[in-house]
Amino acid sequence: MGDLVVGQSLWETRAVSRGISCRCWMLWRQCAVAAMILGLSGPLIVARARADEARLTVRDDAGRVVQLARPATRVITMLPSLTEIVCALDLCDRLVATDRYSNFPAVVTHLPKTGGIDDASIELIVRMKPDVVVLNRSQRIEQRLTSLGVASVALKTDDFADIARSITVIGTLLGVPERASMLNAKINADVAMIATQARRARAHRQPSVYFEVDQAPYAAGPESFIGQMLTQLGLVNIAPAGYGAFPKLNPEYVVRMNPDIIFVSATEAQELAHRPGWAAIRAVREHRICSFPRQLGDPVMRAGPRIATGMQMIDACVQKVLP
Amino acid sequence: MITKLSSTHALSCTSLSLGYGQRLVLRDVSIGVQRGTWTAVVGPNGAGKSTLLRALAGLTVPQAGEVQLEDQPLQHWSRRARGQRLAWLAQAVPASELTAYTVVALGRLAHGHWFSQETSRDRAIIERVMRATGSLDYADRRLSTLSGGERQRVHLARMLAVEAGVLVLDEPTTHLDPPHQEDIVRLLRSQAHGCGVTVLSAIHDLSLALAADQLIVLGAAGLIGQGTVAEILERDWLSIAFGEAVSVVQVDGQYVWRPRLGESGT
Amino acid sequence: MRFGRWLLVGGAICIILLLIGLLIGTTGIVRSLTELRHPDSEALVVFWQIRLPRSLGAWCAGALLGLAGCIAQGVFRNPLAEPYLLGTASGAALGVALCLLSLDGVAFGIAWLGALGVTGAACVGAAGAIALTLALSRGVVQTASLLLAGVVVAFLLSAITSLLLLTKPDIWLSMQSFLLGSTALIGWFAVLLLFAVLCVALVVAIALAKGLDALTLGEDTAQSLGLSLPMLRLAFLGLVAVTTATVVGQCGVIGFVGLVAPHLVRQLFELDHRRLLLGSALSGGMLLQAADLLSRWLLQPAELPVGAVTACLGGSYLIVLLWRRNRDN
Repeated sequence: MGDLVVGQSLWETRAVSRGISCRCWMLWRQCAVAAMILGLSGPLIVARARADEARLTVRDDAGRVVQLARPATRVITMLPSLTEIVCALDLCDRLVATDRYSNFPAVVTHLPKTGGIDDASIELIVRMKPDVVVLNRSQRIEQRLTSLGVASVALKTDDFADIARSITVIGTLLGVPERASMLNAKINADVAMIATQARRARAHRQPSVYFEVDQAPYAAGPESFIGQMLTQLGLVNIAPAGYGAFPKLNPEYVVRMNPDIIFVSATEAQELAHRPGWAAIRAVREHRICSFPRQLGDPVMRAGPRIATGMQMIDACVQKVLP
Repeated sequence: MITKLSSTHALSCTSLSLGYGQRLVLRDVSIGVQRGTWTAVVGPNGAGKSTLLRALAGLTVPQAGEVQLEDQPLQHWSRRARGQRLAWLAQAVPASELTAYTVVALGRLAHGHWFSQETSRDRAIIERVMRATGSLDYADRRLSTLSGGERQRVHLARMLAVEAGVLVLDEPTTHLDPPHQEDIVRLLRSQAHGCGVTVLSAIHDLSLALAADQLIVLGAAGLIGQGTVAEILERDWLSIAFGEAVSVVQVDGQYVWRPRLGESGT
Repeated sequence: MRFGRWLLVGGAICIILLLIGLLIGTTGIVRSLTELRHPDSEALVVFWQIRLPRSLGAWCAGALLGLAGCIAQGVFRNPLAEPYLLGTASGAALGVALCLLSLDGVAFGIAWLGALGVTGAACVGAAGAIALTLALSRGVVQTASLLLAGVVVAFLLSAITSLLLLTKPDIWLSMQSFLLGSTALIGWFAVLLLFAVLCVALVVAIALAKGLDALTLGEDTAQSLGLSLPMLRLAFLGLVAVTTATVVGQCGVIGFVGLVAPHLVRQLFELDHRRLLLGSALSGGMLLQAADLLSRWLLQPAELPVGAVTACLGGSYLIVLLWRRNRDN
């Protein structure tokens, strides 16, 4: 509107300078404005109507735009962390099926299972007639589902930012964007609180940590969500930055860095002293090793809404193990 | 002594040099194989018999020199025309899972189109050559189930099915029983003398080679010469080729190699 | 049994398997039958959009692999040859890795590969591996050097893929997921593509079948019969490349079918290559179709990996045939 006003005064000036009679000009100008308004408002009206129809538009992590006519009431999630997000938004009842590995909260274990990452059953999914299927970006069935006309949203859950975005996207899909932002705020607040408490409790000491995710050995780098948890807690991650989320380290590097605490799986914890040279590591010698048993350790290993709990678990072990 | 090259040669070469990489097996060889004769290539192991034959059949490219088929350089022949004019029998043919009939039918490959079926003429020819080589009885059996002699007959039939004017065979009689060897030699002679086909073969067995019309003698140093058996014996080229005295006698008008076993009668 | 009759019986078996395939899935057979008689919209989607194209596609993919295996065994004159011999599987893996990387924004100058989609990238990668093998072995002069080049290319491309994974290890899961052989995701587009390629490949291969026959007699003899060996090998390997790349693009890497399908036919008949190619295609199609059915049925509604089922099925049948042959001899 502001532009229109400026334009009019410019025209006026030009018209007058050309010697066109003022009254004629004003009539012409009114007609022009009316035509413009009618011309522009047409598409605007249509666009607004369409916007009303496609109220829910999200852009998933594969770059595709998914539109739903109304909030989804039948949802299938194909990743445990995504299942947890839906339930954290208090909409567990909208889930009609999950993947094989979703186990939290307990109520989802009773839902039909559609398979794992690689062997999801297309038929089961189609039979459930979901409004939307939320899956991980690396899953192959995405293409097939789209070709069958099932709305699917692919999400990445690698770090804190991904988790926040996933929550927002799922909240939009389910028609509860405000709840989603509240959840995000709560998670951020919890994380900040635990982080401050942990640092204070440790008198701002910063022990060095090696977090192993696989025995190759693959470490949790600072860019992974685990690495971000460690950073928030004020722990120094010996894994270097810039080598990807889960870099494969040279075992010699771990020995040289001599971490204060080692996080490793329970089975590997016994074997650490047998790895060549590892018996010399301070954490191994003084037995400052933390492991999380299978299901209990899910909040730590899953990039979902329970990262605050995960951080708590990590901190609890650190406090227990550190002198 | 080099035979003068003339238009009576079905297969000939000029200044042929053959070898592998740096090593030359034969140097500056010029020979001519006369039409309607059976010429045998003899010489010690490693002299280059197979190498020469493969070059003459157009299977390898010589380092230097030229091969002529029917007085035309080999490169000027289209693959198909060459396949119709010259048939090759390799020394060691891998055991095939095909039936004998199918193998012989392959001889007609150069004459027909790939996607077409055999014509009735093809079938007649296949039957004729299989009968001529005595292999019709096992036409439906897999090649790998046949004995060495039977297999060789099938391969000969395949070669004859090409109806080529020039036959080149690399050691067709090795590993065969004497009766089979006789059959093959008789067949080669009848092809040459009866059908006017030019036959060129490398034969290890001296007695069989001596039945040929012409001999090409290769030695350790290269080509020694070419000529009729009588000419070659006169010049004692065989002894030069093999490096020690070779005794050949005539029995009932047929040349026979007599092995010298070191007792009386040397 | 004569070969012609075997073809008819085989074809009938495939049609029966196709019909059974309509009944097997996440619901029991009885329920599927009732649904077939009174299909609602959901059942229609399941039958016509999921089960039918899946069975058809499995047959087409198996036929393509069987055909490719027969050609590979003929060209290399080696009964252990199979379609992935020239580095196709590694090439497909590399193509998928590059595509996923470019989708992730990691630039290697191969943005066009990302545009092709993972399916197209796998296809291009597989075909590219064979092209690389041919280039490395200097225009297909000797079969032995070709085999060696193929093995080298396979290892080389695997190594490059591993190195690429270092830059972004998280795509490994996607890659594995894609490459894992599976017939579960075949839709109508895939069926049409596979069928079209099968028809073209069969026609070309059967037209050139006499060349394979001639090759069994040795390269010298084949050459003397008027065949151009380099052209022949190029044509055949081109066929192997196209057929294998198409299957890998749609179904991932399914092993064993290409190796065993020609042998199943050879154990039963003595054939020239013209009929062997046809028989291999049919037996490959039957094998993969049956394996697909079993993988859906055994652990209903979960699925077994189709590659494992194929190996069990085809392998045990081959052993029975061999045992019977030994006993007869």
